[in-house]
Amino acid sequence: MEAEALYPEGIERRAKKSFHIRALQGFGDTQIGPIYLGIWGLLAIGSFAITVLMIFIGYGLQVGWNPIRFMREFAVLGVEPPAPSYGLQFAPLAQGGFWQIATLFLTLTLVFWTIRIWSRATANGVRPLLPIAFGAALFLFSAIYIIHPISMGSWNEAPGHGLRAQLVWANNFSIKYGNFYYNPFHMVSIFGLLGSTVLLAMHGATILATVQYQSHRELDEIEDSTEGTHRAQLIWRWIMGFNATPHSIHVWALGLATLAAVAGGIGVITSGPAEPNWYLWACRAGITPGGIAACVPLP
Amino acid sequence: MRNVHETVDGPIAGYNDRQRQILRGELVGLIAFTVMALVGVIVISVWQGETRATEGFRAEYEYNYAGVQKVNFLQYLTSKNITPTQISPEAAAAYGVWAGANPKTKNVQVLTKYLGAKYEDTAAIFGYMSQYVTTGLGQSCEYCHNLADFSSDEKPTKLNARNMFVMMFEVQNKWVESIPRPEGQVIYQLQCASCHNGVAKFWNKDLKAKSQESFGVAGGGMPYDYTFADERFLGSLPDADGRVNYFQVIADRTTPPGLNDTARNQNAMYHMNTALGVGCDFCHYGGYFRSYSLPDGTYKYPKAQARHMLGMLQDLTVNWLPQLPPLDANSVAAPDQAVAPNCYMCHRGYVVPPGDIAPTEPIQKVAAPLLAPLQDIPIPISVLPKP
Repeated sequence: MEAEALYPEGIERRAKKSFHIRALQGFGDTQIGPIYLGIWGLLAIGSFAITVLMIFIGYGLQVGWNPIRFMREFAVLGVEPPAPSYGLQFAPLAQGGFWQIATLFLTLTLVFWTIRIWSRATANGVRPLLPIAFGAALFLFSAIYIIHPISMGSWNEAPGHGLRAQLVWANNFSIKYGNFYYNPFHMVSIFGLLGSTVLLAMHGATILATVQYQSHRELDEIEDSTEGTHRAQLIWRWIMGFNATPHSIHVWALGLATLAAVAGGIGVITSGPAEPNWYLWACRAGITPGGIAACVPLP
Repeated sequence: MRNVHETVDGPIAGYNDRQRQILRGELVGLIAFTVMALVGVIVISVWQGETRATEGFRAEYEYNYAGVQKVNFLQYLTSKNITPTQISPEAAAAYGVWAGANPKTKNVQVLTKYLGAKYEDTAAIFGYMSQYVTTGLGQSCEYCHNLADFSSDEKPTKLNARNMFVMMFEVQNKWVESIPRPEGQVIYQLQCASCHNGVAKFWNKDLKAKSQESFGVAGGGMPYDYTFADERFLGSLPDADGRVNYFQVIADRTTPPGLNDTARNQNAMYHMNTALGVGCDFCHYGGYFRSYSLPDGTYKYPKAQARHMLGMLQDLTVNWLPQLPPLDANSVAAPDQAVAPNCYMCHRGYVVPPGDIAPTEPIQKVAAPLLAPLQDIPIPISVLPKP
C-alpha cells in the first residue's frame, strides 16, 4: 500500500506527543492528538483567520469597539453583503466589502480543508470518500454563497455573516422565492436530512444493543458476519421486513447525508433562474392544499 | 478464529465502585437538570402568560367578522399608568362664566361644518371637548383656550388643533369610511385620542428612550419610532387600475436581484405584528404570503385593510404632516430622521386603535375644507370577493 511505502516505520512516524483526557472515556477513546498540520492545514488556518478578522472588524464597527456591547449584542450583529446596486462589483469596505473579503477567504478555507482531508485520506491509505462527502457540503455552501448570487447578478442574494443574519436570510430567501417548502429539491433535501438522522440513530442503537455479540467489530463483520450482525439484522427484519448489511448501512448513511446537501444546493441554484416562485410551481404541479382546483389566484 | 460466542462486556461493566458512583451521580444530575429546566419553562410561562397574552403576538387565524374586540380608551390609559385628564377647576369655573354670557358659540369654524349645527351651542361644544379632546390630548382647556375668551385664537395650540380637526375629519371621510370590510363590520371613528392616546406631544425623546429600553438595542426602532415611510414607500402610488405594491417582495421574472427589498418588507411586517398585536396569520395565508385568500376561498380582509391603511399613512405623511406645526426641541426628529406616522401610533398593540370611538354621529363631507391636502393620493382598489 502507498501508506506503507511512504512510511515504513509506521504511519505516525513523525507524530508528536499525544495526551489523554480521562473525561472523554464516555466517548470511547481518550487520546487527543497528534493533529496533523501540513501545508493545507496551515493555509486553511490562515485563511480562516482572515475570515474571522474581517467579520470581527465588521462587528467592531457596529458596536463602536465597545466590548460590552459586543458581548451583549453578539447574536444580532452581522456583516452583510453589498446592496443590490453594487451587483457583483467590489463594494467599499463598510458597504459590503468586509463581507466580500470574509466570504472569499471562507470559501478558500473550505477548499483548503477539503484538500487537507484528501491528503490525509491518501496518506492513510484509505479511499477518498471523506473529502467527497465533505464536497457535498462544499457544494451547498458554494450554491448559497457563490453560484446563486452570481447567477442572479447580485451578492445581496447571499447570507450575511452572523447568527441573526443567517436566520434572516433563511426567512427572506424563502419568502422571496414563494415559500421554500414547495421547492421539490428542498423537499428531497429534508428527506436526506431527516433520513440520515433517523438512520444514524437506528444504526447506533442497533450496534450498541448487540455489542455483547461483537457487532461493533465492523471490519470483521463486513468480511464475515457473525452472531452480532445476524441478531441485528433479525431485529430489523422483524420490525420492517428487511435489513441492511454491515457494509450497506454505511452506504445508506453516506448517501442520505450527501443527498441532503446536494439536493439543497440544487434547490438554491434553481431558485430564480429556473423558478422564481415555488408556490406557483407547486400550484401548477397540483400539490398545494386543495390541488389545482383550489389554486390561489394571483392578486 | 475468534470465538464470537464469547460475549464482551462494554466499558461500563469494567467500572469499579467509585466509577459507578460517579456515573450514577452524572445520570441523577442529568435527570435533575432536565426536570428543573421543564419546571422553569412552566413557571415562566405561567408567570408571563397573562402579560404575553395582552401584549404579545396573537395569530388570529379566525377573523372575527362581527368586529374585533375594542379596548376601552380609559382602560387603555390605566394600563399604561396614565391618569385620564380632567378639566381643571379654573377652566371649569371660567367655562361657567363664558357659557352664561355666550350660549351660542363664537368662532367655531370646523366642528359645525363636519358635525352639524348642533355645535353652535356652547354647551354642546363643551360636552364634545370635555369628552374627547381633554382625555384624548391629556390637557385641560387652558392648553388651547384663553379662559377669559374661549373664542380667541391667540394661542397657537388652538390653531393647530383646528387644523388637526380638519385633518381628522378628512382622513375619516376619505380613508376610514372606505376601508374594505365584510358585511356588518363596525366602522369606528377617529378622534384626538386615536393618534395622541392621551399625550399632547407624543413624538418626544422619552418615547424613543423607552423604545430603546424595550428592545435593548440602540435604534431598535420598533414599535414607537419605527418608520418605513421612506422615499420609495411614499412614491409608490396606485396605477391606473388602482393597484399598488408598497413592498415588492415575492419574486417573479421581473423582480430585481437581492434580498434588501424582502428585508425591508419583513421589517415592516414585524412592525405590524407589534403594532397590532397580531401574528402573521391575521392577514396572511401562511402558505403563500402574497395571496389575499385562503385555499378554501376565505378572503383575508385584514390584508386588504392593511394595504388600505398603508395608503392612509402615505396620505398623512405627504399631505397633512407638512401642514402641521413643526416638532419642538424635545422631539425625536433628528436632522436625518423624518418623523412619519406608523401603525403603532394609533393601534398601540390592538387591532382597533384604543383611541377610536364607536360611530356616534355622521361626519359630513365638506366641499372646501379649511385645510386642503397638498396632493391627491388615490385610494388603492382592493379586489374583493363577490358577495
